[in-house]
Amino acid sequence: MRGRFLGSMISVAVVAAAAGAMITMWLTGTPGQAQNQAAAQTQNARPATVGGKPNFSGIWQANNEANWDLQAHAALPAAVTQPGVYPYDYARVPAAPVLALGAAGAVPGSLGVVQGDGQIPYKPEALAHKKENADHWIDRDPELKCYLPGIPRAMYMPYPFQITQSTNKIHMAYEFSNSARTIHLDKVEGPPDDTWMGHSVGHWDGNTLVVDVTNFNDRTWLDRAGDYHSEALHLTERFTLMSPDVIWYEATIDDPKVYARPWKIAMPLYRRVEPNMQLLEFRCNEFAEEFMYGNLRKQQLVKHWEGDTMVVDITRKIPAGDAFYEWYGR
Amino acid sequence: MRGRVSSLTMTAVAAAAIAGAISLSATRTTAQAPAVPKTPWGEPDLQGIWTDETATPFQRSPRYANQEFFTDEQRAELDKQRATLLGRDKRGERGTELDVSGAYNAEFGIVRRTGKRTSMVVDPPNGRIPALTPEAQKIAAADKAFRLALLQSTQTCKNKLRGCEGGQYDPKPTARRAEQPARYNTARMNRHDDPEDGALADRCLTIGLPEFGAGNGGGSFRRIVQTPGGITMYYDVGQGQGWQRNIVMNGSPHLPPSIRQWFGDSRGHWEGNSLVIDVTNFSPKSDYRGSRENLHLVERWTRMGANTLEYQATIEDPAVWTKAWTVKQEFVKQNDEQNRIYYEPRCIEGNIGFPTEMRNARLEDADFAKGKGPDPLTHDNATGFGEDDPLQQ
Repeated sequence: MRGRFLGSMISVAVVAAAAGAMITMWLTGTPGQAQNQAAAQTQNARPATVGGKPNFSGIWQANNEANWDLQAHAALPAAVTQPGVYPYDYARVPAAPVLALGAAGAVPGSLGVVQGDGQIPYKPEALAHKKENADHWIDRDPELKCYLPGIPRAMYMPYPFQITQSTNKIHMAYEFSNSARTIHLDKVEGPPDDTWMGHSVGHWDGNTLVVDVTNFNDRTWLDRAGDYHSEALHLTERFTLMSPDVIWYEATIDDPKVYARPWKIAMPLYRRVEPNMQLLEFRCNEFAEEFMYGNLRKQQLVKHWEGDTMVVDITRKIPAGDAFYEWYGR
Repeated sequence: MRGRVSSLTMTAVAAAAIAGAISLSATRTTAQAPAVPKTPWGEPDLQGIWTDETATPFQRSPRYANQEFFTDEQRAELDKQRATLLGRDKRGERGTELDVSGAYNAEFGIVRRTGKRTSMVVDPPNGRIPALTPEAQKIAAADKAFRLALLQSTQTCKNKLRGCEGGQYDPKPTARRAEQPARYNTARMNRHDDPEDGALADRCLTIGLPEFGAGNGGGSFRRIVQTPGGITMYYDVGQGQGWQRNIVMNGSPHLPPSIRQWFGDSRGHWEGNSLVIDVTNFSPKSDYRGSRENLHLVERWTRMGANTLEYQATIEDPAVWTKAWTVKQEFVKQNDEQNRIYYEPRCIEGNIGFPTEMRNARLEDADFAKGKGPDPLTHDNATGFGEDDPLQQ
């Protein structure tokens, strides 16, 4: 059903483009939305195709909970918790360092994006490592340090990204941490070293963009739940336009060192249709300085209770092996 | 020849202005312009990986005062002099501070061939940056005085080394040690009390616009990808830092003044064969030669031929310079298949140096407090880096 819908949309667009409309607007709307949509059309008009292929150019964003946890999960008080007054897992409370965020530090629930049985097929020892990662989320998740997010995580972090599609290259610029990748549709040599963002080589399978991503390091994660991979990670991504403003995104995740078999995630990516949409900077390494180097200040930004003034006095005990320096050396 | 090409470009620009509006298709203006590659959708094709393959003095030396271009003999002579920089293991006396700071020797830099121009600055015609305004001079002098005060008790000042230029040795460390600089610090200073004492480069918060290649420190590459109505540039600069620019091409006005960004807000349009980008909304934490949030750039990117692209940037900030000035560079297309550009800033990811410097400073503080070590302000941890390329003086 989806395939048929897609096929007809694209063939209509191709015909329109062939008929001489240099810029064909995807956006059509009800009269009530006419004003906003007219503005969007003027400002961010895109032809339906580039070089005869569906045009993915524009600004997109996932609108789901995948960055918290790829697997299905109920809402949680925080990404990292500690035992509360009861001995039950379901009665845990936020761990001290995130306590101060209140409900803003909580984790929204999700039906998950892992296809099939919804479970990531970890090998037994890898599953133990994932659980350990989750327990030490604050010290281990590279997102908190503003490290390059890697692929696929950059595709579904809660930040927009921009696709610039040409005929031989497709560039993806992610707002988070100034990260980017170029998908090479033409012949290209591999990178000189392993990478955080992978080496992306693409081709067209009909109207679907298929991207093979390799040459990863083992430093990136898949979400805030401790899901991880090794340097043997091999991704196969598929981008298909479901409608002018929705991409159906799939990624097959293969890593024989960590998973018992390849597995797949799938989700829609939505176009940011606001007329004035543009990527802004999110240069978070500046924001993470206090987190990473605050203890090295000559005068630390100390916090106390003074009268009615609240001071969050927090103990974050970093387990052996998880301090910044040790983590780096792993 | 070069001059003729430029004047033809000007003609094309005038034609575009007469035709009015921003034209997505530049065909009507190309009758007299040099034949340049076009994208399948008819825009000038700026795509590929581009770099300045030569080294050019930023400002013109008085030695070439009336000369816009080097003669072939001058270039050959400069290349000969500069070749000695390659492989030179510049070290101070073994075991001294200077020796340690010299650890960044020629191995870390590149030496490119001398370019055609005697200066990147092409306007004013004397090839020199216009004078600073009195206000900007005052700010620069106060900033320098503060930095020199932090250095006054070091060997650098005692031995009258370049890092102490304009300063004086005083064995008694400055009383200004806990003072904050008047403006947000962007450069290396001889103090490591806080992350904010570090240079932006050391904090992985550089390099910004305008970007003219990092002297002898590594050069810069930019990958341009275009789509109808859109253009993106990815910069790979210095020793592995990088950042992106997504040029807004929809004709809308700049971001509101309340939004300030390290790399500003880039809005572009086509004028004939040139991509013209207007950049404003810079952050007060960014700094280009003293210009901060009021920096205004007008860039012109013009494809000149199969393998060349002319880059021109007009730099304006009435609070800093007495007039606007312009820099020009010629970029050469790099092998796309080889793809030596690296899309990964991966700076903070491996920045073990910066926290180590702070950690060492805390150990020095502790020793000094216990009377076991010297005052940290008698150590120079800020100057003495880099090579002495005669083109960069």
